[in-house]
Amino acid sequence: MSQFRLTQTPPSLNPPSDRMVRVKINGIEVEVPNGENIIESAKRVGVDIPYFCYHPRLSRGEAANCRMCLVDVYMPRKNPDGTETLAKMPKPQTACTLPAAQGMVIETESEQVVRDRKGILEFLLINHPLDCPICDRGGECPLQNNTIFYGPPTSRYIEEKRHFPKAYPLSEYVVFDRERCIHCARCTRFADDISGDAQLAFLKRGADMEVGTFAQTAYRSKFSGNVIELCPVGALLSRTYRFKARPWDLHTQKSICSRCSNGCNVKFDYRLEQLLRVNARVNEEVNEEWTCDRGKFGHDYVSAPDRLKTPLLKRDGEFVPISWTEALDRIVEQLRQAGSNVGGIGGQRCTNEDNFVFQKLFREVLGSNHIDSRLGRYQGPVNRPLFERFGYHGMGNRIADLENMKTLFVFGSELVDEQPIIFLRVRKAWRFKGASVVNAVTRVEEETTKVADFAEVNLIYRPGTEMALLLALAHVILHEKLLPKNASTSALAQRVGDWTPARAAAETGVAAEDIVRAAHLLVNGPMAILVGRAITEHPEFEALVEVLGDLVVATGNQGNLNIPGTECNTQGAMDMGVLPDVGPGYRPIDPPGMNTHRMLEAAASGQLPVLWIVGAKLVENYHDADLARRALENCPFVIVNELRLTETARMADLVLPAASVAEKDGTYTSCERRVQRIHKAFDISPDIKPDWLIFTEVAAMLGGTPYFSPRDILRDIAATVPMYAGISFRSLGDAGIRWEYPAGDA
Amino acid sequence: MGIRNLLFEHRDVENIQDIAVYEKHGGYRGLKKAVKMERSAVIEEIKTSGLRGRGGAGFPTGIKWSGIPQNDDKPHYIICNADEGEPGTYKDRELMLKLPHLLVEGMIIAGYALRGTAGYIYIRGEYVEPAWQVRKAIDQAYRAGYLGKNILGVKGFNFDLYIHMGAGSYECGEESALMSSLMGERGQPRLKFPHAPYPTVEGVWKSPTLINNVETFCAAAKILDMGGAEYARLGTERSKGTKIFSVSGHVARPANYEVEMGTPLMELIEAAGGVVGGALKAVIPGGSSVQIVRAEDCPRVNLDYESCQQNGTLLGSGGFMVFNDRTDIVLLMKRTAEFYMHESCGKCTPCREGTRWIYKILDRITSGGGQPGDVELLLDICSQIDGRSYCGLGDAAAWPIVGAIKAFREEFDYWIAHKRSPVGPGHVPPTPEVVNPLLTLVPA
Repeated sequence: MSQFRLTQTPPSLNPPSDRMVRVKINGIEVEVPNGENIIESAKRVGVDIPYFCYHPRLSRGEAANCRMCLVDVYMPRKNPDGTETLAKMPKPQTACTLPAAQGMVIETESEQVVRDRKGILEFLLINHPLDCPICDRGGECPLQNNTIFYGPPTSRYIEEKRHFPKAYPLSEYVVFDRERCIHCARCTRFADDISGDAQLAFLKRGADMEVGTFAQTAYRSKFSGNVIELCPVGALLSRTYRFKARPWDLHTQKSICSRCSNGCNVKFDYRLEQLLRVNARVNEEVNEEWTCDRGKFGHDYVSAPDRLKTPLLKRDGEFVPISWTEALDRIVEQLRQAGSNVGGIGGQRCTNEDNFVFQKLFREVLGSNHIDSRLGRYQGPVNRPLFERFGYHGMGNRIADLENMKTLFVFGSELVDEQPIIFLRVRKAWRFKGASVVNAVTRVEEETTKVADFAEVNLIYRPGTEMALLLALAHVILHEKLLPKNASTSALAQRVGDWTPARAAAETGVAAEDIVRAAHLLVNGPMAILVGRAITEHPEFEALVEVLGDLVVATGNQGNLNIPGTECNTQGAMDMGVLPDVGPGYRPIDPPGMNTHRMLEAAASGQLPVLWIVGAKLVENYHDADLARRALENCPFVIVNELRLTETARMADLVLPAASVAEKDGTYTSCERRVQRIHKAFDISPDIKPDWLIFTEVAAMLGGTPYFSPRDILRDIAATVPMYAGISFRSLGDAGIRWEYPAGDA
Repeated sequence: MGIRNLLFEHRDVENIQDIAVYEKHGGYRGLKKAVKMERSAVIEEIKTSGLRGRGGAGFPTGIKWSGIPQNDDKPHYIICNADEGEPGTYKDRELMLKLPHLLVEGMIIAGYALRGTAGYIYIRGEYVEPAWQVRKAIDQAYRAGYLGKNILGVKGFNFDLYIHMGAGSYECGEESALMSSLMGERGQPRLKFPHAPYPTVEGVWKSPTLINNVETFCAAAKILDMGGAEYARLGTERSKGTKIFSVSGHVARPANYEVEMGTPLMELIEAAGGVVGGALKAVIPGGSSVQIVRAEDCPRVNLDYESCQQNGTLLGSGGFMVFNDRTDIVLLMKRTAEFYMHESCGKCTPCREGTRWIYKILDRITSGGGQPGDVELLLDICSQIDGRSYCGLGDAAAWPIVGAIKAFREEFDYWIAHKRSPVGPGHVPPTPEVVNPLLTLVPA
């Protein structure tokens, strides 16, 4: 499929040239990059050109079909005597595709253009049902807006309009109203250019043309929610938000998506204490303007009716609601008895502020180092696999940098599920920047969005043979001498041994020629490696990371090895020192405390009197679920901070209702180390407390210094954690700050 | 002036489809001459001939050919537009059916002159029999060494020819939509200059691409044979050579007629046996997309690009339709509008919505529901489509309506006022019986 890229035009967002040209728009002279769309040039001088189909991030090959942006164009023409005169182009031109050229003169308000726009809007409205009063898009609809400003006041159409059944369910999340569709092709282009599932397409032709999927199959994209926002009319609608509110009744709060570690910028639209929908917020560095379906539709938990609203204490096997006073008394009493023999697990879904206070309570007030936010299989020394060698934990590249790579090696990752927004970047790199993708996975799922669709080489290996595959790749690189002479290959050479492609093929089940092809691509730099869950959960995680490290060093791509986290604040919890062997800012702690697994073992054998679990679904998700269950059963006092009564919470002795992402202020740190602000939108119940408040109240009762607000805590973080120096709510702004390791700290 | 069988010179020779017969009648002489010339000299020859594209727009072929870059390492594609869908036009059908080698020869000459890598003949899906003939011709040309590697001993002159059958869309005859369709995409037009480079710079698969009509390639083969200067002696000052007209309608002998450019329109009607079933009422000289000409204007029109344009119509693709005075122009336009509504690809707003609106209004008028003001509304809709649509299909849908209203306004008004036809029943040419079913899949 990789050759399909060839037939497309690049998106119009990036100006194709550094050369500047002078154009005149409505009499205003302006200097713009040569070849820029006139629509973008007009924006520079504040001239509004209406449009429907144009979108700066979608390829322009399919654009210019709504014809709304027609403008009059005059081009300079040389006369035989050397002078220049302006010649009007015979037809009006679409500003969304017209490249700016030296001396071009644009008129957007001439009598003819005004008439043309009226004509186009009249055409668009003849088949539009105009059922605005019951349309979700009403009030934020480009068709409404453009009609008000540019449209004809009445229609001359007296024939019958086009009719279709209303509300055709396109997917689990999207309904489609074909009568309202204006055929702008934004959704089909999105499916083609951005998400890559290419399921949406036009069927039939002419006035019968309609958007649909092949043979009425379900639209299975993992990014389907974006088409709702892209649709310039109310044709594509959210099934969860439909008929729930009018847009002007909604309040909006800026926030960060809490469903994975990519840190998408989103807007929470809510009414009273109901979170009604999640829309994307533009951040060029992170999500551009996309969201995945998990982020867009996966925040229903916030306003779920079964949210915990008061602390629950287990008495004789039954939960009874108690007051916060009583709950805190119980906690303090238990902690006093236990002394420093307490364990804390979790924090990956809490804010940096929550985590900072969490570890401070344990280390400074209780005197315990038994605290760990990691729930995965690898719980060894934090600094070892990556930091001691390359000077970073997690990701070496910025998400936005990935699109500048020539080769991307996705290793052991269902990227679209694990890192949806990174997936979109990888696809963008392939689609619009000419990158090649090597994909190594254990299996390829059919019928879903995936890297395998556009990867140049797919290495589908048997589970457990990752090392053999890697060494075979290295073997090809070394033995075919694909690297320049001065490359530092000695570390790699020692490991390779006799893992020839043929031997690896027998071991891994990958064809030998595929291994050779992949190896040839890997030396084509700059190359970045994206490592997924199959590696991070691998028993030989450390050894694999070492070989991968050797590979990036040998190919001269030092720092391009990326091991992104999985939860929304995995990175932040680690930065804040919710780890047994390092404190805030990765300062080593001696002696180290117990990691998650050892804590669970200790609890299972009855040696840990108090276990505090913060937003971690141990029973559900821990790889040794049996151990987790035994630990919770045998630990005398288990405290769980949770939003809902999960299975883990059900086994606790005390459950504390915690605030969700929409109910608290704070910061998250995304997998690329971008610290981003979340804003409080509403309160669901006065008895729900943010985690930091719970910890600080307990700390205060035990004699620690209390904090009064997340702002207060962030100030302390900035003073304590070197990488967070200078970060404050004010300095974060809307786009957040991506921190770098201080030089020489490694 | 008058009938001048140049491309059709050997049309009626028995078995001319066979390469041996074709060669005996001077076939592939043009190609043999061409490969002895410099590549640029071949293009120069086409320029000298003054040949203009025969697909409808009349763009100078020589200029198009010289637009292909000479010194690049991209593959070059030569495409023949044989998606002849213009109502009233059937000249390419006969050329491919009877003279497939002429087309093949013309394409090989283009392949030589423009360093072509491969040629594609995009044949309309319904043209099964012509496609069989072209298929046979290509096979014979391969066997004779006119196609394949090192053609005619010229080192490095490799050229392959493929047939691609369309899937039944008028729109795919538009060159950019044809390219989309050829590449496996939806048959919709692509951006054109100045929004995107010319196809000669960036066409199919982002490579330089030449697209010409069947008749143009055939003419190119003849020009190389007889010499550009000789060809340029035919025709008028700016319209050189000959043009094939597919004469249909109320004439005694509807058929393809090849005439010299500049032949008076009336002379062609005479050649086709004159008008039957009544007096001449109107002529559409270039396919359904062009404006209709009233009988009293016909004597002034000569069949060349300039004269047609001066008289408010176009030469187009040569679909020459003759109507006698029993024809109802409003019903004719309703049928025309129905065609464009059906064939609009749906990509752009004016064409998608406008063509249907036009049809619905005409349908209402001819069903007795016409209202005062409908004609003005039609004119206004047409002005909103013409020049505003993505490709030429919108223009082609608007022109005939505007032309008909201009020429026969009184008939529209009559329909609206009296709710019936001004010419009485029997107003449209009866649909001819299909004597030769197109889908005989036996190789001809």
